Amino acid sequence: MLRYAGTRLVQLVVITFLISVFTFLLVHLLPGDPTVAILGPNDTPTARAELLRQLGLNKPLVDQYGTWLVNVLHGNLGQSFTTKQEVTNALGEGAPIDLELIVVSQVIALVVALPLAMVAALRPNRVFDRAATTSTFGLLALPTFVIAPILVLVVAVKIHVFPATGWDSLSEGIGPNLKSAILPSICLAFGSIAVYYRLLRADLIATLQEDYVTMARSKGLSTRYILLRHALRPSSFTLLAAAGLVIGGLFTSAFIVEVLFALPGIGYLLVQAIYSDDYLMVQGMALVAAMAFVVINFGVDFVLTLLDPRVRRA
Amino acid sequence: MSPWRRSPTLQFPDVGSLEGPLLETVDLCTSFRTPRGLVRAVESVSLSLQRGRTLGVVGESGSGKTVLTRSIMGLLPGSNVERTGTVRFAGHDLTAMSQAELRAVWGMQVALVFQDPMTALNPVVRIDRQITESLRLRAGLDRGAARDTAVALLRSVGIPDPERRLRAYPHELSGGMRQRVMIAIALACGPKLLLADEPTTGLDVTVQAQILDLLATQQRERAMGMVLVTHDLGVVATRTDDIAVMYAGRIVERAPTSMLFAHTRMPYTEALLRSIPRLSDPPGTRLRSIPGRPPDLASPPPGCRFAPRCPYVQDQCRAEEPPLRTAGQDHVFRCWYPVGSDEGEQALAHNVAARVPAALAFTGTRVRDAGPAPVGPGPVSPAAPAGPGGHGAATGTGS
Amino acid sequence: MPDDRVRSPGVPVEVVAADTGTAGALAFGTGLAPTGRRARRGGLGPVFWVCMAWVLLMVFLAVFASMLHLTSPTAQDYSAVNAGPGLHHLLGTDDLGRDLLSRVVYGSRVSLVIGFAPIGIGLVVGGGLGLLAGYRGGAVDTTVNAVAFVILAYPALLAVIVVEEFWKPTSLLKLTVIFAVIATPLLFRVIRATTLAFASREFVVAARSMGARTGRILVRELLPNILPSAISFGLIGVATAIVLEGSLAFLGLSIALPTPSLGNIINEGANNNLLAINPYIALWPALYVFLMLTALNLMADRLRSYFDVREARL
Repeated sequence: MLRYAGTRLVQLVVITFLISVFTFLLVHLLPGDPTVAILGPNDTPTARAELLRQLGLNKPLVDQYGTWLVNVLHGNLGQSFTTKQEVTNALGEGAPIDLELIVVSQVIALVVALPLAMVAALRPNRVFDRAATTSTFGLLALPTFVIAPILVLVVAVKIHVFPATGWDSLSEGIGPNLKSAILPSICLAFGSIAVYYRLLRADLIATLQEDYVTMARSKGLSTRYILLRHALRPSSFTLLAAAGLVIGGLFTSAFIVEVLFALPGIGYLLVQAIYSDDYLMVQGMALVAAMAFVVINFGVDFVLTLLDPRVRRA
Repeated sequence: MSPWRRSPTLQFPDVGSLEGPLLETVDLCTSFRTPRGLVRAVESVSLSLQRGRTLGVVGESGSGKTVLTRSIMGLLPGSNVERTGTVRFAGHDLTAMSQAELRAVWGMQVALVFQDPMTALNPVVRIDRQITESLRLRAGLDRGAARDTAVALLRSVGIPDPERRLRAYPHELSGGMRQRVMIAIALACGPKLLLADEPTTGLDVTVQAQILDLLATQQRERAMGMVLVTHDLGVVATRTDDIAVMYAGRIVERAPTSMLFAHTRMPYTEALLRSIPRLSDPPGTRLRSIPGRPPDLASPPPGCRFAPRCPYVQDQCRAEEPPLRTAGQDHVFRCWYPVGSDEGEQALAHNVAARVPAALAFTGTRVRDAGPAPVGPGPVSPAAPAGPGGHGAATGTGS
Repeated sequence: MPDDRVRSPGVPVEVVAADTGTAGALAFGTGLAPTGRRARRGGLGPVFWVCMAWVLLMVFLAVFASMLHLTSPTAQDYSAVNAGPGLHHLLGTDDLGRDLLSRVVYGSRVSLVIGFAPIGIGLVVGGGLGLLAGYRGGAVDTTVNAVAFVILAYPALLAVIVVEEFWKPTSLLKLTVIFAVIATPLLFRVIRATTLAFASREFVVAARSMGARTGRILVRELLPNILPSAISFGLIGVATAIVLEGSLAFLGLSIALPTPSLGNIINEGANNNLLAINPYIALWPALYVFLMLTALNLMADRLRSYFDVREARL
């Protein structure tokens, strides 16, 4: 157990290092001069030389990396060129929104997918199962950028129930906050529903054929009890693994939702930074987003290992 | 009161006041719909068991024994299964009950001990919950009482240090202990009937004996009826009151134990008995197995199912399936040319002369010692009261 | 992190979700077909061939678009602004009078190229490496696996966005390259896992014991068995790539306007209250994406279940 944790930790450190190098090198190795982009019309040789000196871009690469890394570890990710805001501040403002979106969307996805999968697994290939499987299959073909406009059209424009854009943060009360979060969260939840449903259904069907489920039936236990207390736990490992990967991916599909609904989360800020060629912002956000993704995945993997007593003993 | 609990709507009489058999099946048939056709796993099985007695059900793999236990319980999968016939437990017709009503019976009145404890115990649930869940949900005990009962149960099945074992997971116990736990779980709610499906397969011989003794003791103390399903004749020899022999889904012989061993009628039973190696056999004795394989249950041959492998087989056997006939007190069997009868002896001799392979293997006669194959119609006629039977040439399939 | 371990009975979670919102790849990490229908020995079924025909038709349209006498996608017809479907403009026009049919057809070109080309490259390069690594193992396997692990650690959409930002201007070729760099390790891992499953089978050992060389074993023994699975995953990869590109285009980060791409057409159609005025602008490309993804998913699924059932029979 300990040895496994150690290996994973080493991998995590190595990946982290590589990510930092990659993110750092982006600016320097790819063709295209960031100074041109930054200076824009003010591009004169003197201005460029000054900027280069300011950004420390005239020092050797390794030195620059070192400086950058030290800064990062001190929490200094630099300053945005356009908004003059500290990158870390921007991140701090954007992160809670992303978090809330992810949490709400996954709650919705699970609340929908779990009961569907359980009922479908009880009677596989009957009417309910066929209907549910087909419709969730359709969900897979509706990526966020397809479903979001349609949803907005139907719900926000025609029916005016939820706001089409804008975000009310928690400080303005939980009611308005949830209202502005619901529609984007539903968009995010769609793909997750399909994944959770399919995986859980398949796993449950397999689990329900196990001998210990027959044994539990032979004890006279009710179907509901058997589903929840016997079948769900072994099946939940797959679910957890799926959740880990889905959540990791949500970070980036949240970008689209944020842009469409104009929610000031990390994705939105990142895209704005890209539009305005604010490369320090892009760099800082990319670093954080990538790190979050990696850490979440490693974390989920680790938790899974902890939870499965069979794997633990190996 | 736990929200899961449902109170049983059926009343079951005390075991002591029971009149009539504890368990009775009448013409029980179970078939599975498969792409290959209808597989008749259990056909026309009629059994009866009094309380306090043990019935052994013996048969090789694929004979339908496990399906039989599931059919009796009603624990078959939902789709693609057809079950006909009647199963009566303590006077109540189980076959007419809905799943909800059956759930009231399972665990409390009738319990099933599964064959493989490694797969029958939920690997991610600790032992204590696996025992106490039926106590709490079915018998309505609270947590403390359930735990105490579980400890007592584990102790009664011979598990040392039961308090500690309760917290264990199934994979942390040895095979023998797991089986004991399975028995404890089955006995938890005090059922009146225990169906034990191969409870000792895969265990060491010494552990086997312990488990069987345990079952016998529990049965005696609780005055339960028990059905002991196994492929091992040695297991049933001393521990059952009656034995039913199954082959290809049918009961082919049923008798009180002593009578089965002393006055075997059905050739299959005889072959089974002979196949058991004995310590008294001299070293180098050839094992007497039964040649051939059980029939395909999706398309069984007409006539007696055992005919292709039977040393006594005659034409009538291949054409017509023998009905169950009585041979004395509580002894029924299915054969046209039973063991120990005149017709049987003649049939065997004839087959040996005709070089029928099964007969040669049975008598241990080597092929070249059997003499030339006869020509012309055979002299053997059946003794069956029903039907004239075939007189055709009894030329065997040659050497 | 993606991992080769089997977590619960029969559900290998070695498929990595391309974090784009559909996570279609994840959903197909199960061994069961969605409806559980047993494959008829006759063939892949009418559904499969209908989908195949549709996909081929769309590809044909995209490839030969310029020869089809369609109106130019950028031509603005002021006499028919925001027109609904009609004789002159089969699918209607947008707010600038541009013919929607031709915009969708030309837009599909980008999507299809970015869908199929990187996956093709990935299958050949990554798949080839995976086959070799899975069969041979050893140092080559460990190193390539580690590299793949690292590349895949970085979230896909983020990687594309970030690389794009620093590698301006975006072109179809550059996008294809970036996508291919992500697709190759993905397909490498998948095909390596499948190869591993087969490499220990008896027919491979038998071939080796008769003196067959590695190349022969790879091509004659392993490849035919890997192919169905590889194609199945490839199709899902195409679907995922299309979604990825669509998401990028929606964010305005794909091919620059005025070149139409399905994603940016949807973007246009979803902004500025256009949804209320002329829903067709967003509707047609959305429908196209939906149908395309459904077709690809159905084909992939059918392939998988057809060959999985045969596996199960073994």
